[in-house]
Amino acid sequence: MRKGILIILCLSIFFLVGCWDKVEVDQRAFVSSMGIDLNDKDKMNRFIVTYEYPNINAIGKNATEDTKTFVVSTPSSSIFQAGRKFTTSVAFPFYYKHAKVVVLGEDLANEGKLVREIIDELNRDTKINKKIQILVSEGKAIDILRANIKQDQTTDGIIYTALKGTNNASRFIPQTLMEMIKDADYSGVTLVPKIAKRGKEVVISGGCVMKDYQHIAWIGEKESRSLSLINGKTKSDTIDVPYKDSIVSYAITDVSSTKDVRIDEEIIVDIPIKIEGYLQGYIEGDDRTVYDDEVLKDMEKVIEKFMKKEIERTLKLIQDEYNADLIGIGEDLSKFHHRKWNKIKDRWDEIFPEVKFNVSVDAKIRRTGLIK
Amino acid sequence: MEGKNQISNEQIKALLITTVIGVGILSLPSDVAMILDTGGWVAIVISGLLIIPFIIIINELFKMYPGKSFFQIGEEVINPVVFNLFLGIVLLYIVVSLSYGIRVFAEVIKAYLLETTPTEVIIITMLVAISYIARSQIEVVARMAVMIYPIIIGFIIFLVLVNLPHMDYTNIYPIFNINYKGIPKGIFTTFFSYTGYEILILTFHLSEDRDKSLKYSLRGLFTVMGIYLIIFFITLSQYGIFQLKREIWPSIAIVKEVDLPGYFLENLDGIVMAAWVMVVYGTMGPFLYSSGIVLSNVLKTKIHEVFIPFFLPIIYIIALLPDNLVQVDEIIGPTLNYLALTSIFIIPTIIFISAYIKRRKKA
Repeated sequence: MRKGILIILCLSIFFLVGCWDKVEVDQRAFVSSMGIDLNDKDKMNRFIVTYEYPNINAIGKNATEDTKTFVVSTPSSSIFQAGRKFTTSVAFPFYYKHAKVVVLGEDLANEGKLVREIIDELNRDTKINKKIQILVSEGKAIDILRANIKQDQTTDGIIYTALKGTNNASRFIPQTLMEMIKDADYSGVTLVPKIAKRGKEVVISGGCVMKDYQHIAWIGEKESRSLSLINGKTKSDTIDVPYKDSIVSYAITDVSSTKDVRIDEEIIVDIPIKIEGYLQGYIEGDDRTVYDDEVLKDMEKVIEKFMKKEIERTLKLIQDEYNADLIGIGEDLSKFHHRKWNKIKDRWDEIFPEVKFNVSVDAKIRRTGLIK
Repeated sequence: MEGKNQISNEQIKALLITTVIGVGILSLPSDVAMILDTGGWVAIVISGLLIIPFIIIINELFKMYPGKSFFQIGEEVINPVVFNLFLGIVLLYIVVSLSYGIRVFAEVIKAYLLETTPTEVIIITMLVAISYIARSQIEVVARMAVMIYPIIIGFIIFLVLVNLPHMDYTNIYPIFNINYKGIPKGIFTTFFSYTGYEILILTFHLSEDRDKSLKYSLRGLFTVMGIYLIIFFITLSQYGIFQLKREIWPSIAIVKEVDLPGYFLENLDGIVMAAWVMVVYGTMGPFLYSSGIVLSNVLKTKIHEVFIPFFLPIIYIIALLPDNLVQVDEIIGPTLNYLALTSIFIIPTIIFISAYIKRRKKA
């Protein structure tokens, strides 16, 4: 009896080998960025899909190879179909769990239906992290990824590191897959940062306004900054304001903004924005000093006026030209004025341009730096 | 056997919580959101409150016949043939419920953890594991529940903590936007998230302190309700109502939303799945145990262990009948709902009423 048990226990070793089909880490290709361009929307291979993945052998102290990252691309019918196609040319299987960036090409962004397909594919996949960053490129996405490897220092790629940087100025607003879907669900409009190739480098600035997942306009850095201030997404930034005959550099350290939506005869939105910051640069001279409360108060007023103007201009732009509710007024209505929203939501495109905004900016200069 | 086979009220509470919370918790938020939008919490609360009368009925039943088990009471108050028929329905319910649970379990594991492992292997492994606990006495099952209970609480606390930094709590509004017509349907859906409370039928008469059992089991029920509400609000505020409706298993998927500074906390689904396997184990073990107990009572034997292996192939076959997850939810799901309605709500009530009438006649 005992021997029998012993034999059975010994036999169980064969079933306990554990990692049956394990793959060593250097035998895997971890896709870090993906780029998708439009190929031909009538053909089966509608997209040109580009993968960027780090060369595991070139990482660490005892790196055996020089090339830091590889970029491969192929015409394909979907993002993951491309991964299958690459098996003919790339030795290792692809893993998507650490994919961080998706760049959509400009041509593709103009096709709302195809973008939606891509978003669905990413949303459905079990491996893709839903916090993956989405960008739209000026020109082809493949050029961006090719340029990216030249200035690559980290395994995640410059794009992701730049997007995640905590002290990025609000030249662009990073957009994740899930946030993008949420925005599109609630208001049909979303803002995705724009990436472009300038010379040999890639630059992320401004944004791409997408309505129903379709690119409708580019916006610049200033508009992006205003939207970021309204939505309270600015973490830090520096604003240059003309003051008297020179320029004051005002560094923002903290922003808090709210949106109060009121419905009377028409929809009125109060946007009070509170900004705190310090003085970054100003000309020092005999007749002028900033170590004077009156001067600071005066400067604050000028800054407030300047920013208010900029924000109001941006609001006018998104209302009249793009008719894109990028600041979530519709979302706010659907949450806090549900009954009224149900009545007007079908006509929201007509109503949004009529919304009245009351912007008030309250800027405080808390510190003047080390000199008077 | 009777003398030693006693369990404490704390164990009853833990058993109730672990048995009720199972595979349903993964899809519950999206199921109620489909019907009631952001007002889904109402259905969770109402159906939780609706369970209370049934728990009281079970409690009263055992009060009338102190020291007797449910089966002894049943045979005393109604025709034994009818009672055995009832037990047959109950058995069917337990088996279908186990099959449903184990199939969903296998699908989730396959989607998130073991892509290449065949469904059959996952199912067989889990069945063998739960048959071990099911062959034990109720006291052992209850001890297992006490061990798993902190895991469930830890799982919930973990979900709350990792989701807090990125949550947008305004997504839960409009909180009082309740579609009154949808409420019955919503309750019908959430009601079955509370199945498993019938484990009380097997435990109440074994309690060490009978007077306080009701209090403890109600406390357990409110814990379950609280956990469901927390999960609903967390998934809702993390996803927003539209994406919540889209997700199949929002409660697991939200950990993929977690993105804390520093790389080590990313793609947490593995950790959560590990905890969740224990949660499912805590549901299936008592269920399989009760199937053995019921069959042993139908056949009038004192041991239930020998019947457990007999159920395994049946559960396995039913679990593999549907072609895909959609079929599981469309065919087995409603069948299970009706079986549950009969066997854990109607049958105990019938027995209670007959017992009550019989008492009256005697008096």
